[in-house]
Amino acid sequence: MRRVAVVGTGQTRHAKARDDVSQPELVREAAAAALEDAGLRPGEIDAVVLSNMELFEGRALPELWVGEGAFAIGKPCLKVATGGTSGTSACIAAFHLAASGIFETVLVVGFEKHSEGHTQTGMALTDPFWDRAVASGAVGNFALSISQYASERGITEHQAALVAVKARRNAARNPHAHLQMPDLTVEDVLASRMLAHPVRLLDMCPQSDGACAIVVASEERARRLCPHPAWVRAAVTRHEQPYLGDVERRLLTMRALRDAARAAYEDAGIREPRKELDVAEIYEPVTYAELAWYEALGFCAAGEAGGLIEEGVTEMDGELPVNPSGGVLSTNPVGASGVIRVAEAALQIHGLGGARQVEGARTALATGYGVYAWSDVVVLGAEAA
Amino acid sequence: MNVAVVGLGEAGPTVEDPRSIPEIVLDAVEGALADAGLDFGAVDAVVTASVDLFDGLTASGIAITEVIGAVMKPETRIAGDGLLAALYGACLIRSGAYETVLVTAHGKASLAPHWELTSWALDPIYLQPLGVDFLVCAALQARATAGDDPRAEVRWAETAAVRRRDARGGGVAAPCTAGDVLDSPVVASPLRSEMCAPLADGASAIVLRAVEPGATPANGGWGLRFGGFGFDLSPHSPGDRDLADWTGLRRAWARARLAHGEPVPAIDVAEPSCLFPHEEELFRRALDLDDGTVVSPQGGLFAGAVPVAAGLSRLVAAARALRHRGGQGTAVAHGTWGPAGQGQAVAILEATL
Repeated sequence: MRRVAVVGTGQTRHAKARDDVSQPELVREAAAAALEDAGLRPGEIDAVVLSNMELFEGRALPELWVGEGAFAIGKPCLKVATGGTSGTSACIAAFHLAASGIFETVLVVGFEKHSEGHTQTGMALTDPFWDRAVASGAVGNFALSISQYASERGITEHQAALVAVKARRNAARNPHAHLQMPDLTVEDVLASRMLAHPVRLLDMCPQSDGACAIVVASEERARRLCPHPAWVRAAVTRHEQPYLGDVERRLLTMRALRDAARAAYEDAGIREPRKELDVAEIYEPVTYAELAWYEALGFCAAGEAGGLIEEGVTEMDGELPVNPSGGVLSTNPVGASGVIRVAEAALQIHGLGGARQVEGARTALATGYGVYAWSDVVVLGAEAA
Repeated sequence: MNVAVVGLGEAGPTVEDPRSIPEIVLDAVEGALADAGLDFGAVDAVVTASVDLFDGLTASGIAITEVIGAVMKPETRIAGDGLLAALYGACLIRSGAYETVLVTAHGKASLAPHWELTSWALDPIYLQPLGVDFLVCAALQARATAGDDPRAEVRWAETAAVRRRDARGGGVAAPCTAGDVLDSPVVASPLRSEMCAPLADGASAIVLRAVEPGATPANGGWGLRFGGFGFDLSPHSPGDRDLADWTGLRRAWARARLAHGEPVPAIDVAEPSCLFPHEEELFRRALDLDDGTVVSPQGGLFAGAVPVAAGLSRLVAAARALRHRGGQGTAVAHGTWGPAGQGQAVAILEATL
């Protein structure tokens, strides 16, 4: 793929309910912030890619109504929706549009307003023949896979709780983050309500209202617009068998994420990810998943993820800080969550992370995840490939 | 590097396909791959188009992951018209990331009352509470397009009768005379039931490949250059635009010509995505087509309009028309979505690689 870079980012304040704005207004907040960050006027955007899980708000083709908020009127506009990976998939779509030679600057806006719908109902609208009768939604789905993963790998509730505490501590440094729980303790997590064994309330991500936007530019435009462009070194998507029972030991293997990471590292010339990556923004909807992703992303060998969190390797001052933003565990507007991962990774390369900046970050990882079926892996770098 | 259309496949359109969505899509995909002389292994990436609410499924791409051969492959789902998926597929190739891309789109109108569902795509604050849907918006547009012209309804009836005649054999639209069209019941004034293209079930699929200029595609048989394309989103509210003009299509067409680079040859065949005769008039005006262009030689969407897949089905039809001409000429395919043509896409197909 031709060289392209992320040259601007913007996001809203994320909250349980953003009753102060409509969906187009929410989108406008993020879009305007990203344009301001990139130093562009709306007329200088060539195309817009939107990301949203429309059934979570009970809508169809939401870009028709919301597009105006994203400055998309009179412009080419696409909407991408692939579950939890919608946001990263939209970013990857924008990378390809900007690399196609047809568009110079592409705006991506991901958004979700969970408070205006019923997310678990939306999630239960699965295959009517095989899946819908189970209708377990996210938590039940996770609980099955996590039980198997934790059992085989010897992961403890305490180790998972450490992930929850790390995420919420990091979120306290991020003014955009939804959950602000700086004083959360492992004991608090272990005392929180059991949702579906072994998943407790504070192991799970919240449902947030919010939007996030990035501006992607072709090489020539990126060099003119941004002092420190976040160059796209790799952008890989892998989709998996969709049915829960069709992939044995799904969370243990995470074949799609593992293969996407392998291909992305190859494209980016990365051989030892834990050493060569400076920061990672990974899509961890539940604490146990972050530990499983450590293995799938090659941060450690199988069975070592629990040790990694105990030793503080992925803390802000560790060898490889994971989710300085607080991650999905602290902020989760689903259609935006993948865009947030890419925006936060880009922010690190831009050197604009503020209190959550990883000093000297030059190579950043962002991932997207959807229902065990989809995985996106993006590598951004301070240097073009 | 050119992008070529090298494989075409379709399932339907039929009034009510008893098969599941994956079965219908598989039918189209196998047809496209066979036409291209390729198998699943040759496909680098897949782009699909579907709309969750129309399918009654969250993340509706999940249902077809296996039948499009996307397991452990890059797949992107465009939640919109199928022609958009094709345009994005062409961008994937132009970016240099992939050489062979499979594009699919599907719809199953028989699952639910389609027009009622479309009300959920309208602004929930100002439009949806009025009880309007895409059909009502189309009627408003027809009224605006007719203006003071007393002949408009008769002209539309004549166009609908021609399209229904040309679509014969498909089994979806019943042939009838212009008089029959004018006698058919009003569904949303001034639109009458026989003026509307019949909704149907089906799927379309194409294979796109990177081809060096002047080269013969790998299948050795045929290939059509995906010469230029553009798309656009107009303001949402019908009150915010001139309903008597598809200005969004004018912008998309200008972008398509710009992307084409060289002057666009005369258009031999046009396959517009028009559900109603007044839309065809708006299409002709936006592209400034003259009588030298054959429009919808097989009846266009009157052969069966498959929601979401409609735009991709027009690309398949345009490609087939050029093949039937012995691989000569230039064609355009068109897609539109949203109320009164809010979204517009157009692509230029050329026989010369």
